[in-house]
Amino acid sequence: MSQHDRTHHAKIATGKGDPQCFIGTAGPAKFKVGDRVRIKNLPDIFYTRCQVYSRGAVGEVAVVTHESPAPEDEAWGHVDHSEWFYIVRFKQKDLWPEYPDDFPNDTLQTEFSERWLESV
Amino acid sequence: MSNDHDHDHGHGHGHKPPAPMVEEISDFEALEIAVRELSIEKGLFTAEDHRRFTEFAEHIGPTPAARMVAKAWLDPEYKKQCLTDGIKASLAVGVDWLNPTGFGTPSDYTDLRVLEDTPTRHHVVVCTLCSCYPRPILGFQPEWYRTPNYRRRLVRWPRQVLAEFGLQLPSEVEIRVEDSNQKCRFIVMPVRPAGTDGWTEDQLTEIVTRDCLIGVALPKPGKTSNIKLPVHKAVNPAHH
Repeated sequence: MSQHDRTHHAKIATGKGDPQCFIGTAGPAKFKVGDRVRIKNLPDIFYTRCQVYSRGAVGEVAVVTHESPAPEDEAWGHVDHSEWFYIVRFKQKDLWPEYPDDFPNDTLQTEFSERWLESV
Repeated sequence: MSNDHDHDHGHGHGHKPPAPMVEEISDFEALEIAVRELSIEKGLFTAEDHRRFTEFAEHIGPTPAARMVAKAWLDPEYKKQCLTDGIKASLAVGVDWLNPTGFGTPSDYTDLRVLEDTPTRHHVVVCTLCSCYPRPILGFQPEWYRTPNYRRRLVRWPRQVLAEFGLQLPSEVEIRVEDSNQKCRFIVMPVRPAGTDGWTEDQLTEIVTRDCLIGVALPKPGKTSNIKLPVHKAVNPAHH
C-alpha cells in the first residue's frame, strides 16, 4: 500500500486556489515581459507539458503568470520547489516554416516554467 | 485461419452478426466509473457530491463567461478588472472559482486570463495536450474541443480550422492562438459587434456563445446558438 498522502494538494489549495497556494515560493523571476527567449530542448523522459513544436524556437515573454512547481516535478508529487511561469509569444512563421507568408502577423502563445527558457 | 471452406459462411443467407450484449462504452468511461466508485468507497467525496457537481457542470448556461463579456462591453471599469484579475471579476457573474459548486473543492486551477480581441487581433484557445478549459465559468468542453484533430491542427493551421467553423478573417487581422498548456485558463473577449447599440446586458449575453468564448466564432446579432458540426452517419452501423 502506498503511504503517499493523496489529499495533500487539496489541503494546501483549499481556500487559496492553485497556483495561489504557491505565491512567494519561487524567489525573483529571471525574465520580464518583452524579453527574448529560446525554448530549451531538455530531456522529458517521464512527463512534461512543454510541447515539442516549441523546442528551439525563439519568442518573446508576453506575460509573467504565476509561481508553481513545474509539471515535470508536480506529476510525481514533488511540490517543494517552485518556478516562475511565462506565457511566451511566437511568430507562427518561427514555429512552422511552412506557415503561409500571406499571414505574417499571426502569432501563437503558450506557457513555460522558467527551466525551459534561456535568454537570447 | 481455418482452411475448411466447405461450410457456408452465410453467403446469400442473410446472416447477421450477433447483436452486442451491451451498449459500447469507451475505456475512459469505464475508467471514470471505476475511479469514481473507488473514490466514493474511500470517502474522498460522496455520491451526493458527485451528483451535485455533475448537475452543476451540465446545466451551466447561458454561461457566466458570456455575462462577463457582456458586462465588460457595457462597463469599462469592469472590463479592466476582467483583464487584470479574471478570478475576482468572475465573482460579479456569480462564480467563485475557489468554491464553484458550493461544496468546497476547487474544481480547476484558479488563474483565469481574459484575452481581449481588437479589430486587428483575434484570439482562439486550444489545449494541445489534453482539454484544459475554464470549466467553472464555461461548463464542460464541447466534444470537438477534446479531439486530437482540433488540438493538433489549430496550432499549425489556425486559419484553415477556423474556416471549417465558418470563420474566415482577412489577412490584416492577426490570429493569435493560445495553447492552454499549464495552469492558466482562458476565455476570449470578442469585439462588441455592430448593430447592438442600446442593447441590455441580457441581450448582449445571449449572443456571446460558447463558440465565441473559445474563439471559433464571432458574436453577431441574432446568432444565439453554437455551431452544429455535421454528423456523418455510420457506413456500417451495428445491427441491434
